[in-house]
Amino acid sequence: MRRAVPLAAVVLVLVLPWLTASQFTLHLAITVLLWTVLGVAWNLLGGYGGQVSFGHATFFGVGAYTTLILYLKLGLAPWYGMAVGGAVGALVSLPIGLVCFRLRGPYFSLATLAVAEILRLVALNWEGLTNGPVGLLITALPPVRIASRPIDWESKTPFYYMVAGLALAAMLAAYGLARSRLGAYLLAVREDEDTAEAVGIDTVRAKVVTLALSAFLAAVAGGFYGLYFRYVDPDAVFPIALSVEMVFIAVVGGLATVAGPAVGAVFLVTISELFRERFLVGHLIFYGLFMMLAIRYLPEGIWGGVRRLVSGHAPS
Amino acid sequence: METFIQSVVSGVLTGSLYAMIGVGLTVVFGVMRIINLAHGDLVMLGMYGAFWGLTLWRLDPFVSILLWVPLLFLGGMLIYRFLLKAIIPGGELNTLLYTAGLSLLIANLALFVWSGDYRTIKLPYALSPMRPFGIAVPVPLALAFGLAILITAGLSLFLARTDLGRAIRATSQNPEAAALMGVNVDRISMVTFGLGSALAGAAGVLLAPSLYLYPTVGEILIVKCFVIVVLGGLGSVVGAISGGVLLGVVESLGAVYVSVAYKDTIGFALFMLVLLFRPSGLFGVGKS
Repeated sequence: MRRAVPLAAVVLVLVLPWLTASQFTLHLAITVLLWTVLGVAWNLLGGYGGQVSFGHATFFGVGAYTTLILYLKLGLAPWYGMAVGGAVGALVSLPIGLVCFRLRGPYFSLATLAVAEILRLVALNWEGLTNGPVGLLITALPPVRIASRPIDWESKTPFYYMVAGLALAAMLAAYGLARSRLGAYLLAVREDEDTAEAVGIDTVRAKVVTLALSAFLAAVAGGFYGLYFRYVDPDAVFPIALSVEMVFIAVVGGLATVAGPAVGAVFLVTISELFRERFLVGHLIFYGLFMMLAIRYLPEGIWGGVRRLVSGHAPS
Repeated sequence: METFIQSVVSGVLTGSLYAMIGVGLTVVFGVMRIINLAHGDLVMLGMYGAFWGLTLWRLDPFVSILLWVPLLFLGGMLIYRFLLKAIIPGGELNTLLYTAGLSLLIANLALFVWSGDYRTIKLPYALSPMRPFGIAVPVPLALAFGLAILITAGLSLFLARTDLGRAIRATSQNPEAAALMGVNVDRISMVTFGLGSALAGAAGVLLAPSLYLYPTVGEILIVKCFVIVVLGGLGSVVGAISGGVLLGVVESLGAVYVSVAYKDTIGFALFMLVLLFRPSGLFGVGKS
C-alpha cells in the first residue's frame, strides 16, 4: 500500500498523454502539475517550517522573467534558462529571508506580501529589462531533437513531460527534506521557535536555507510557465492571487505532507478550471470556499484526512 | 511651493479615508488578535453599494451610506458569529489563512456576479473642483474627508465615553481581566467585528466616487491598510489615523517628487523599514 499508491500515481502521470487526445485535458494536467510544483515549493517552508509566506509569487516571477530575458536578450535556450532562473530565485530569496525572518507569525506573512508587491512594481516600471506592462513574448522556441526526432513545440506533450518531471523532482525533494536533519529542525521551529533556539538550532539558518530551496523550485516553475505560455507580464507572474493560491493548494491538500500539495492541486485546479471553462470569471470562489472549510473541519488537509482514515491514526 | 501644498492637501484628503479603513482593521485586531485579510473586500462591498445605489435607485453615495453602514455592521456581526468565532481558538495563523479564504471567496463571488469590468461613479458636482486659496479640491473627496473626520471622531468618542466603548477597550487591553470584570467578551468581539466591517463599508462608500471600482480592488486596499496599521502600531486607533494620513501624504508627495510609477513602492519600503526597526509602530503607541 505504501509503495503501491505513489507508484500507481507515477505510472498514471506517465501514460496520461496516451489516454487522452483532448488538448484541454492535457492543458488541465499541465496546469495541475505546475501548481503541484508550486504547492510543494511553498509547503517546504510553510508546511514543514510553519512560516506562512504570502509572497511566493516573488520567486515565480523572478524565475519566469529570468528565463525569458535570458532567451530573448542572450539567446540562452529556455530549458537552461529555467535552471538559471531557479538559481536567481534562490539568490534573491537570501536577502529577503534575512530581512523577513526577523519577523514572526502574521508579521512575516505581511512582510512577504509587501516584498512580492515591490517586485511586481519593479517589473512594471523597469521597462529596459522587463518591457514593463507590455510584457515579454517568445515567438518561436529553438528546435530540439531527441533521438534525431524533432520535438513539436506546437503540441502540448513535451511540455507535459517537462512539468511532470519537475513535479516528481519537487516531491522527491520534499520527501528528502522531511527525512533530513534540516526537516527535523524545521519541525522544531514550527512547533516552538524559542525552544528550538534554546536547544541550539540555528533557526534563522534553517529557515533561510529552506526558503532558498523553496524559492528555487518556485522560480523553476515560473520559468516553465514562461516557456509554456511564451509570455510573461507583471500581473501574470507577480500577482498577490498567485502567492495566495500556492498557500491554498498546500493547506487544502495537506500541510507538511509530500503528496498533499499534489492532491490539493488536482482537486482545486480541476474544479476551478472547469468552472473557468464555463463561466470565465470567479474561478477562485472554490479556493476561498475550500480553504475556509479545510481550516474549519479538516485542518490536516484532504491528504492528511485520507491518511488518517486509512491508517486509523494521525499522519506523521 | 504651490505644488507642494496641493499634494499635501490631496494626500491628507485621501489619507483620511485610508485612516478610516485602517481604524476598522486595527480595532478588530486589538480585540480579537485577528488580522482580517477580508477587510479590503468589505471596503469593496461598500464601493459597490455606492455604485448600485446610484445606478439603480438614483441615490447619492453620501445618502446611501446611511443604508450600507448598518447593513455592513450586521453583516460583520454575522460573519463573526457564524464563521470566525469557531476559528479564533486555533490561533493567529489559522485566522489569517481563514480570512484569506474569506477574502478570495467574497472577491470572486463579486467578480462572478458583477463581472470584472472597471466602473466609475459619476456625480454631477464632481466635475468642477472647489478652489480655496487656489488649491484644487474635488468636491466628493472634500465631502468624504468631512464625513471621515466626523465618523472617526464619533468612533473615538464612543470608545472613550460609552460603557460599550470602555468594554471594547478593556477587552483590547486584556481579555481575561475584562471577562473577570463582567465584560461579555464574546458579545464585545461580535460588536467590534461589526464595527470594523461598518467602518470598512463606510470608507468604501466614501472612496467610491474617487476610485475605479472592480471586484478585486480589496486586494490593493488591504495591502495599503497593512502599511497604515503597521506604521501606526497594530491595535492602536490613534496610530491607524496617523498612519493613514501619513501614507496618503507620502504617496501624494512621492507621486509628485519621485515618480508616479513608484509611489506605491515608497509606501511598501516604509512598511518594511517600520516592521524591521519599530515593529510596535512609528508612534510607539501600539502593541507589537
